[in-house]
Amino acid sequence: MSDEKIIEIRNLTRVYGDGVEIRALDGVDIDIEPGEFLAIVGPSGSGKSTLLHQIGILDTPTSGTILLKGVDITKMSDRERSKTRNRELGFIFQYHHLLPDFNALENVMMPLLIKGVKRSEAKKIALDLLEEVGLSDRIHHRTTQLSGGENQRVAIARALVNNPSIVIGDEPTGNLDSKKSDSIYELLRRLNREHNQTFILVTHDEQMAAKTDRVIRIVDGKVVEDSRDGVPVREI
Amino acid sequence: MISVYELFIALRHLTSRRRQTIFSVLAVGLAVALLVWSQAMMVGFTDEMYAKTVDRMASVTVEPKPDEDYIHLYHKLTEDIWSIDGVVGVSPVLTGQATFEYKDRNKNVVMQGIQVAAHDSVLHINDDIVKGSFRDIEATQGSVVLGDALAEKLDVDIGDTIDAAFPEANPAALKVVGIYDSGTPLDKTLAITSQSTAQDFFDVANVVNSIIVRVDDREQAQAISERIDAMGYPASSWKETNPEIIQTLKLEGTSNAIILGLIIVIASFGIVSTLFMVVMEKTKEIGMLMAMGASRRSIMTIFVMESGILGLLGAILGVMLGATLAIQMGSYTYEVGEEAMAGITTIPFVVRLQDAVIIVMFTFLLNLIAGIYPASRASKLKPVEAIGRE
Ligand SMILES: Nc1ncnc2c1ncn2[C@@H]1O[C@H](COP(=O)(O)OP(=O)(O)O)[C@@H](O)[C@H]1O
Ligand SMILES: [Mg+2]
Repeated sequence: MSDEKIIEIRNLTRVYGDGVEIRALDGVDIDIEPGEFLAIVGPSGSGKSTLLHQIGILDTPTSGTILLKGVDITKMSDRERSKTRNRELGFIFQYHHLLPDFNALENVMMPLLIKGVKRSEAKKIALDLLEEVGLSDRIHHRTTQLSGGENQRVAIARALVNNPSIVIGDEPTGNLDSKKSDSIYELLRRLNREHNQTFILVTHDEQMAAKTDRVIRIVDGKVVEDSRDGVPVREI
Repeated sequence: MISVYELFIALRHLTSRRRQTIFSVLAVGLAVALLVWSQAMMVGFTDEMYAKTVDRMASVTVEPKPDEDYIHLYHKLTEDIWSIDGVVGVSPVLTGQATFEYKDRNKNVVMQGIQVAAHDSVLHINDDIVKGSFRDIEATQGSVVLGDALAEKLDVDIGDTIDAAFPEANPAALKVVGIYDSGTPLDKTLAITSQSTAQDFFDVANVVNSIIVRVDDREQAQAISERIDAMGYPASSWKETNPEIIQTLKLEGTSNAIILGLIIVIASFGIVSTLFMVVMEKTKEIGMLMAMGASRRSIMTIFVMESGILGLLGAILGVMLGATLAIQMGSYTYEVGEEAMAGITTIPFVVRLQDAVIIVMFTFLLNLIAGIYPASRASKLKPVEAIGRE
């Protein structure tokens, strides 16, 4: 176990289905270092989301292990999973999944409130982040009053508010036009540099992927390419 | 322990779907109001029933010793009974049968020889007099007070003289000096004379065949009856002599509470089904809350709280509504058939704090329990599935 790795995925397999078996992930091995900004690419149905869900502890693999800071998250109790999601992970999805009954500020505060941070404290941190994503003037709006791009910025602020060590995004710009996509990408990139958090983004936008530090390509549940700036990280 | 954010989310869910919330609270509120209102009526009715029946009859009746026809030393026994704590009236009574004849009419009656003051202390007979007075039976030897129905049957009025006879009795002429109306069937058969008139008629000296007793707390009647029993004279409380009264009141009270309790259960099920809809609607949000680190327990707590809060609001609203209505209606009096309802002419509503508290707690608990099912469904959602595949 090496100190530089924040995530070590070993022989990860996720099989779906009773009757017809679907091997959504088939023996995946990946090591990720802290602060990396990496893209997972691959055709539709290749297993990208499935992989992200395993890393995000939103699902349990059929076999294999995932060490997060040296701890095997696949063996965690329900309670530990919740706690780890709250402390170590930030999620951004294609659709923002903001809570519609709460305004932007309250949505961003929510992970902190779940953690047990005092309201006044949570508000301060949330306001800072909303400023960072450029939404200071929209904090009292609800999701229905915000545009797609704005909602996604709120979702990003929410993903980062607990200062997680890993931010995962499943096609975070998949729902936006290319101009907005670019600005969201720039935002994520900036946040990654400023906070030195690990970003794992699924995308089918090859252009965007090309701008990341590292690209992992998945086909049929297997890693077929893993390269840093075009140089293979390891032989597949 | 409930954490602040769970309450925050629960309350926000309720305020965001205001119409459903108001509807649920109203449904529970109306059911609770109905229960409170009807409970108030039940309690009022019971109180009135006691006032008009139990409180009008002797609390304890003392009989002669098992192998004797009469109570011989009744002066001494009367004094002994008076000395018991809680006794507020004692009346020795000589009762027997007689045939009354007036002109061409005659009627078998129950004749009671009483001491007016003593008898009034137990049965408040002076309240029931409609003509003449009881005092006259002691002023004039050979006089009688009749129940109104009996007087009508014999077609007699004050001043008329009745012939009284019975086998082994000394025939007597009794002058009617009063007519009473107790509102009970006894009005058809009871004739009341002084004790000495009765003793002359039945040809006995210085005996009675029952002593009736009033106690100030009707619930103490049984205990006092047992103390008299211990003096060697068989005594029975009103509960023993009229078991059907308690039976009736208990039965009506229970079936009433069960039916209305069921209405609240149904109203609460309304909340459950609403909550199920909310859980379905909010599946993605629940998934996202889980992704943010909300534990299954927290999700459970949030939805159980929502149900509980709705129940509590409904219960409080219902109690206020029901109590207000009952108090309003209680300030009126309603005429109901007099003889039909054992002499009850008005139904006062009695709202008891203890009933209100029990109903609120019952409704709150019921809704907490009812919320468990949809809440556990929400808490068992798998995060990936809840968020949904894109
Ligand atoms: N819950 C599920 N049940 C059954 N099959 C699933 C489920 N989730 C994903 N799959 C299947 O697993 C494969 C990988 O899916 P996914 O990870 O969503 O692909 P991607 O995100 O790369 O498009 C697909 O064939 C998909 O149909
Ligand atoms: Mg996908």
